[in-house]
Amino acid sequence: MKWFPRILLTRMEGACVTDLKPITALGASSARVQSMGSLTLCETPDLAFASLALRRGQGVPTPFGLALPQAGGFVGQNGLGAFWTGSDQWMLCAEGRGDSDFAADVRAQAPGCSVTEQTDGWAAVDVTVADDAQMQTLLAKLVNLNPEFLSPGHATRTGLHHMTVFVVRPNTTQLRVIGMRSLADSLWHTLATTAKRLGVSSRPQAQSPN
Amino acid sequence: MTRLSGGLIDRASTLNFTFNGTQYSGHPGDTLASALLANGVRLVGRSFKYHRPRGVFAAGSEEPNAMVELRSGARQEPNTRATVAELYDGLTARSQNHLGPLKHDLLAVNDLFAPFFAAGFYYKTFMWPKALWEKLYEPMIRKAAGLGRLSMLPDPDAYDRGYLHCDLMVIGAGAAGLTAALTAARAGAQVILVDEDFRLGGRLLAEATPFAEISATDWIAQVLAELENLPNVRVLPRTTVFGVYDHGVYGAVERVADHLPEPGDTVRQSLWRITARRTVLAAGATERHIPFANNDRPGILLAGAMQAYANRWAVSPVAKAGDPVAVFTNNDDGHRSALDMIRCGVPVLGVIDPREDAPRLGDYALYNGATVTGSRGRHGLREIEITQNGKASWHDVGALGVSGGWNPNIHLASHHRGRPVWDDQLLAFVPGQDGPPGLVPAGAAAGRGTTAQALASGMGAAQEALSDLGIKAAPVALPEAENAAQGQVAFWHVPGKRRAWVDLQNDVTVKDITLAHKENMRSVEHLKRWTTLGMATDQGKTANISAMAVMAELTGKTIPQTGTTIFRPPYTGVSLSVLGGGDTGAHFRPRRLTPTHHWAKAKGAQFIEVGQWMRAQYFPQPGETHWRESVDREAKAVRQSVGICDVTTLGKIDVQGADAGDFLNRIYANMMGTLAVGKTRYGLMLREDGFAYDDGTCARLGDDHYVVTTTTAQAGPVYRHMEFAHQCLWPDLDVQLISTTDAWAQIAVAGPRSRELLSRIVDDFDLSNDAFPFMACAELTVCSGLRARLFRISFSGELAYELAVPARYGHALMERLMEQGADLGVTPYGLEALGVLRIEKGHAAGAELNGQTTADMLGLGRMVSKKKDSIGALMSRREGLVGDSRRLVGLKPRDPNQKVTPGAHLFAQGAVQTMQTDEGWVTSACYSPNIESHIGLGYLEDGDTRLGEVITAANPLEGEETLLEVVSAHFVDPDGGRLRD
Repeated sequence: MKWFPRILLTRMEGACVTDLKPITALGASSARVQSMGSLTLCETPDLAFASLALRRGQGVPTPFGLALPQAGGFVGQNGLGAFWTGSDQWMLCAEGRGDSDFAADVRAQAPGCSVTEQTDGWAAVDVTVADDAQMQTLLAKLVNLNPEFLSPGHATRTGLHHMTVFVVRPNTTQLRVIGMRSLADSLWHTLATTAKRLGVSSRPQAQSPN
Repeated sequence: MTRLSGGLIDRASTLNFTFNGTQYSGHPGDTLASALLANGVRLVGRSFKYHRPRGVFAAGSEEPNAMVELRSGARQEPNTRATVAELYDGLTARSQNHLGPLKHDLLAVNDLFAPFFAAGFYYKTFMWPKALWEKLYEPMIRKAAGLGRLSMLPDPDAYDRGYLHCDLMVIGAGAAGLTAALTAARAGAQVILVDEDFRLGGRLLAEATPFAEISATDWIAQVLAELENLPNVRVLPRTTVFGVYDHGVYGAVERVADHLPEPGDTVRQSLWRITARRTVLAAGATERHIPFANNDRPGILLAGAMQAYANRWAVSPVAKAGDPVAVFTNNDDGHRSALDMIRCGVPVLGVIDPREDAPRLGDYALYNGATVTGSRGRHGLREIEITQNGKASWHDVGALGVSGGWNPNIHLASHHRGRPVWDDQLLAFVPGQDGPPGLVPAGAAAGRGTTAQALASGMGAAQEALSDLGIKAAPVALPEAENAAQGQVAFWHVPGKRRAWVDLQNDVTVKDITLAHKENMRSVEHLKRWTTLGMATDQGKTANISAMAVMAELTGKTIPQTGTTIFRPPYTGVSLSVLGGGDTGAHFRPRRLTPTHHWAKAKGAQFIEVGQWMRAQYFPQPGETHWRESVDREAKAVRQSVGICDVTTLGKIDVQGADAGDFLNRIYANMMGTLAVGKTRYGLMLREDGFAYDDGTCARLGDDHYVVTTTTAQAGPVYRHMEFAHQCLWPDLDVQLISTTDAWAQIAVAGPRSRELLSRIVDDFDLSNDAFPFMACAELTVCSGLRARLFRISFSGELAYELAVPARYGHALMERLMEQGADLGVTPYGLEALGVLRIEKGHAAGAELNGQTTADMLGLGRMVSKKKDSIGALMSRREGLVGDSRRLVGLKPRDPNQKVTPGAHLFAQGAVQTMQTDEGWVTSACYSPNIESHIGLGYLEDGDTRLGEVITAANPLEGEETLLEVVSAHFVDPDGGRLRD
């Protein structure tokens, strides 16, 4: 599975045909990308979100063939993903469809479910790191979670610097932090500050040998 | 120089530093204290009250005396313990608490007046006249007493926070801690090993030969090498665990860059929240001293500290090399300290021991059955007086080590109100059984203080802790270690008439405790507050037990009968910067930006914080010199042509499900289930207690799909309230909720020409009054195919709409509306104009919905439906609420140029202004450019029947009184015709 964002706000098939030009959550025409040593932050405006909640007594659907995960889980394939957000609730996401009516697609895939457009409710930042060790160091500075709950294939909602976020771990070297769109600026600041400290400077060495 | 050979310092490199402006040098591995002592500097500060000369007393974080102002400029840090400050090249430090040079402190005169500064001095002295306390006495006392000075500049360094999780945390990396960590690490547990020192090893570093066959440093190196190679172990040196909190959460501060001149790109300190399933407390023990006459001179220090300076830092704490030292002890450990001094080549005058049967452990003079009864030396110890068999004699010494036994470091074990237990054998408090859950004490912290005991108990504690978690840990091979007997006698102080210091940091003497006892301060808590014993930065680490022993002696009780000391966090001082966790300034807290923020910024908008949101307050135009000019222009434009305003911040909650209508009927006080698809209705929510909670609109987009809007302030709380009702009150209802506040950029388009403007951007949509009347809503497309939602609702009282598009298009939509509306005079308006418009229209906002308001007060009493039940409906009918006759009214000053002051209270004209005659208050006020008068809204008793009456608005804080006419709250278009056209 290739789970990397496209950098530009590309027009996809089925995309909105308006003559208005969108901006990213960080207020620019293209996604912000910043590398700090072996860490890279990347805004992902092409990512679409839609929430899916079961009606009372309804069976669990398999939208786009995705087996909707249990609590704390994330599944992804072919640029589509889903993570658990609550009892009988999931967030579905799709690469490259930020500009389209993704909720309508989900509604078609999950008839009878309550589906709500969430694409612009959120701003996702992908953080890529060199390896699992660096990921652990990063996570320890961001979220108060036992690392085992954020191993690849996991997602959870948690607090991050006084913001509410979803953190998704699609694979070993990638962390997707999904915050409220209005907080994108603060979220980026937090992630960039943390990444800069981890990516650029290593921990100062002790002066005395032990 | 008083440097000895050996030690754990790197003599290959030299570090230069200054103390009080004088240049000195030391080596990597030194602390500021060891480097000062190596340079023969014994006088390092002045005492708190009497300004007596003081020197280094300890070798760790328990230090009561050697506190300095470290660094300079904005980084100047007061009250830094020289004993834990790592030396770096270029370090600057200054001594504290003196007037003039340290050696010739002018305030040393205080010592002559010592009889006046007895226990409870402040309480007894500065009683009268009361008025002088704040202006004279307090500043004077603060200047004379007290410790270091703040730089008064902002902290230039960065701080951060982090979170760690583990199976086992080991606090302290001495013999017990290292063994515990090794035992757990080999068993595969996730282990965090924390130590406050920069060099791991704890007390092993301070002793010459703790092991029989291997040097301490070699053993430590072996253990650390193994731990550092294991992926399941994290070692955190320079990290102090300062508190135990609920659910196995420990607070710790890592001093990441305190040992560097400047942190550079990294943080200065990190705050760690460590969640540990189990913890081994291997924090060691703190030596106590034995108060005797004039025992506070520089050169008198703890015997274990003297031993540590000699072994670890290769320093003898004397004035000049070759000066002899002596040890005054009531226990065998003191003798071993003397032996180590001899081993290090320091002449030892002898060991003074009150025990008649004191052992002689080596080749030194033994003064058994003897005590030290005095000392001499103006700025540092020169002589001690030894009294043996009733005969006193003076002896030259350069330093005196004092050992009164060891107190286990039970601080963390007594958080969570764990009660320590007195151990008669050890003559010390040890951790009780009721300490923080999951915390197992080991080694000296558990009273298992010999090296062999510490090793074994460290291993045992790890095994015990892990076995709770179902992890079986095998024993590890322990080196053969010192396990000498710990003989000691209960000897707490040397009785005498002269002052003998118990608490060096707070200048509390045995006499002070005696006086406090005479004055009936017999509980240790009272003793502490009366004498200040155990307060300030060291929290009495070297004083508390001695003080209790003295008190016990005075009361004729045992120590445990006298009391126990327990401890609160923090273990040692924690800077506010690190507790703050990092961000200051603009990023002090997260800021929410609207979808049109960047557009507004480019338009020159002034912003204002509304909760977390930054909202455009007004948009100044060239030539406008006062905010009122901008706001008046914006408010008039809305009434006369068309204005646009970002209202995204209002909460939006998507409600779906077969029972959505039923659910909303229960949430809203008014009927909502009957709302037709394609319609919007104003709704009022009540709290459980019947007061008004929030208002907003509810739009029905489909048979089982509604969108609820809330006020900006209550967006989160209302959503939470609805989730609570859904999950806890009525889980049987088929309802699904999700916030969509951020997802949609919502723009208010308001004014008589709003329809005209909108018609230019909607795609084939009939905006006529018949097709899309007041309170209609629809899903449609705008700007050639962009999905959007349109609501015909009005906060301003004009013909108005709110148009929602996906947030990413908000910016472009604003630009498009400005472009398309240029000929219509389209005007962006901000929060101020929004406020003016809604006050003119008499619409309630946060100031009116302040939690004290009933539906009746808002004039919305009839909205609380009796045909159904809803949250708060029943409680809204209770006597106290129904009886409230205050009603929302409009208020207009008799003189239009007079302001209406929000918060002013309302009285009948000429009435005496008291609580009893108070008839209400002004909730909101503004200048209305449309009415050309200041206006306001307020709650007034029977206000609905008093239109036309003139009342008084009083603001006694400012001495203001204004005559206001009671008018309809609807200053503009009271019939609502404009809305509906």
